[in-house]
Amino acid sequence: MSDNGIATLRVSGLVKRYGDVAALRGLGFEIGSGEIVGLLGPNGAGKTTTIEAITGLITPDEGEIALCGVDIRRHPRKARARIGLALQATGLPDRVTPREALALFARLYHVRPDIPALLDRFGLVEKADAAFEALSGGQKQRLALALAFVNDPALILLDEPTAGLDPHIRQTLHGHIRAMREAGRSILLATHDMAEAEQLCDRVIVIDRGIVVASGAAAALTGQVRLSTRVQVQTDREAGLAELAGAELFEAQGCAIRFRTMQPHRAIEALVAALDARGVVIVSMQMGAATLEDVVLDLTTAGRGA
Amino acid sequence: MSAIAGHAWLMLRLNFRNRLAIIYGYLFPLVFLAAFWVLYRHEPDPLFAHMGELLTVTALGGACFGLPTALVAERERGVWRRYQATPQPTGAFVASVVASRYLLLLSAGIIQIGIAMAFGMAVPGDPPGLLLAFTVVSGAFIGLGMVVAMLAGSVPAVQALGQCIFLPMLMIGGVAIRVESLPDWAQHVAAFFPGRYAVAAIQQGMTGGALHANWFGLVALAVTGLAGGIVAASLFRWDNRRRRPRMSGLILGVGLWLAIGIVAQLQGRAVMAHDWPDRADVGGPERYVEAERVRPPPRVAAHAAGTGSGSARGLRAASWRDVQESDIAQVAFERLPPDAGLVAPIAPRGTLQDGAVAAQIATIRQALAAWPPAREPDMLQRTRNYLAVAAVPDLLQMDPLEQHLPWLIFDRLRQDIPPADLRRIFYWIAMHPDEGEDSAIGQLAMLGLPAVQGPTGRVRERIMLYAFKLLGRLESRQPAG
Repeated sequence: MSDNGIATLRVSGLVKRYGDVAALRGLGFEIGSGEIVGLLGPNGAGKTTTIEAITGLITPDEGEIALCGVDIRRHPRKARARIGLALQATGLPDRVTPREALALFARLYHVRPDIPALLDRFGLVEKADAAFEALSGGQKQRLALALAFVNDPALILLDEPTAGLDPHIRQTLHGHIRAMREAGRSILLATHDMAEAEQLCDRVIVIDRGIVVASGAAAALTGQVRLSTRVQVQTDREAGLAELAGAELFEAQGCAIRFRTMQPHRAIEALVAALDARGVVIVSMQMGAATLEDVVLDLTTAGRGA
Repeated sequence: MSAIAGHAWLMLRLNFRNRLAIIYGYLFPLVFLAAFWVLYRHEPDPLFAHMGELLTVTALGGACFGLPTALVAERERGVWRRYQATPQPTGAFVASVVASRYLLLLSAGIIQIGIAMAFGMAVPGDPPGLLLAFTVVSGAFIGLGMVVAMLAGSVPAVQALGQCIFLPMLMIGGVAIRVESLPDWAQHVAAFFPGRYAVAAIQQGMTGGALHANWFGLVALAVTGLAGGIVAASLFRWDNRRRRPRMSGLILGVGLWLAIGIVAQLQGRAVMAHDWPDRADVGGPERYVEAERVRPPPRVAAHAAGTGSGSARGLRAASWRDVQESDIAQVAFERLPPDAGLVAPIAPRGTLQDGAVAAQIATIRQALAAWPPAREPDMLQRTRNYLAVAAVPDLLQMDPLEQHLPWLIFDRLRQDIPPADLRRIFYWIAMHPDEGEDSAIGQLAMLGLPAVQGPTGRVRERIMLYAFKLLGRLESRQPAG
């Protein structure tokens, strides 16, 4: 929430259909001021559709979207002026330079940003006059973030901003995203990278089939998850087990056995006994607390194999 | 700088960084022009007479290939999707695309005209009219280009769709092959294509004929641009996902386009009189005199040898003053091209109804008073100069001016030169087309006419024909009007 109690972004009852397929089915959430919120979910959950609806790239069939109290559907241009956007693939003409792109977007947003400062802030000074097509993947994404910042937005929408980038560049971009929050911006980050969401986000929203299935801080969600211990076992040969007492989401493929359990002692005892009875030897065993990825897998239909 | 201007300016700059865009937008039209020039043996007047076609091809290629290729390539890469997320309205981006493309077409057209003039082509007769015509033509083709951009899902699809417009327009649309040369069925089809109206409008601007005389063509082009814009708007998409088109827009756009062709049919504008080659060899003066006059006596042939081959034909006299009645009597006026034909036409007197052409002739009449070649002391040279005023518009097919201008020249010469001298001078000029000085041909701009530069052989041929034809009128052996 902002200081005056108005959420930076309020989405409610959002519905979007493509023919018979409902991409969004009454989606609703809020983002407060200076908050990084992760939008998580499997492919087809509705993440990109949600971002497109907020930006006005698509028109939802039903629902309301308010940015700082301004109804986006009624005042789309006014709202867009306060949104920064970095999509999965940065769409810019091949031969435009970062300096020209920033100047163009400044005009498109009717603002006069300090372009040299933006180039410096996003590490693009050396490539300021290079053609977009000559930039590396990381440089292109840094430019996308710089463009998202050009209009001094209240809300920044980032759709998979670090997808396909190497870990070093990803860390650099994470630094830029944190800096955006420190500058008071609200950020909605759609990502498949759960580690990224855990590192960056103050809060995550898990959506599935166009509705929110969970929302809260990553730590809180992993703590709430019902199946909190994950067990992975490697054996010397196939054990032929189909189930195990005390284990859920049991899965055995070749020499690999995976399951989750609320009663690790009991389940492991049963596993050892079963393997012993079959003369199968344990080669390795890993146990750990549930991660955000487990939460998403647990809460979404894709994770449940639906 | 506004957002539209900023975007348009960036698009222009990016265009000039694209080697292929420069090759297709500028180099190809120039190669086409140069090839045309070479094929027509470096003569400037065919360039002038066919500038309508050349500039139409330039505009058509730039609008129907260049525009959609650039737009679809950007759309495929998600550029337009990113633009959509800015606060700018759709119209701003469309306006900047149209404006930048128009400037690219205009610059290509100006360069083409400049190069043609460097090859010796005459200065366009009506530059403002030409600019207006080219602007309307560009608008029409940009409308079509926008439709292609909205229909095509990929750059290869642009090429395929663009060809669907480009090739029919060239072949039966009156662009590569003149409408008059097409069979009737093709002329009916061509009435639905903007190409023929584009060629006519630009050519009108080149020759300096009254632009409003071609009002239907200009309206047809404007409606084509409007129809294209409406259809493109109904199909508009920011990304490659197809959207359901607005049927009302599609129906309105297609309806407007069909209306152009239908109105042309109803008003009898679809089929034009069939053309025949303007460059038919009109031959030398011997073609228009009786056979026995062709054999020159030895003394005259020796004299004529120094004045060119044309001077050696059928000549006994040593100067125009020596021309005898019997010489003139041997002219076979019936062999001259018909007055209603394409070569050296002369309309019946009193048939000029087009006010704009009448005004143009009045302007020329007034300008002739101060035209230095009309004050040439030598009557023979002065007459040649006057006849050039009729010959050049004929050669450049400045219809209908070319049919009526000979009467002005005829009347001026009759006022200026005693009839007894004039008939001898006409005969002399007709029999000696290669003699005399021809700088007057390059001074026609003072009369508001195109000033032909370069080789003047074909102008001299037309001077010869008009000398014969006006002589026939003096002799009452041709219609006096």
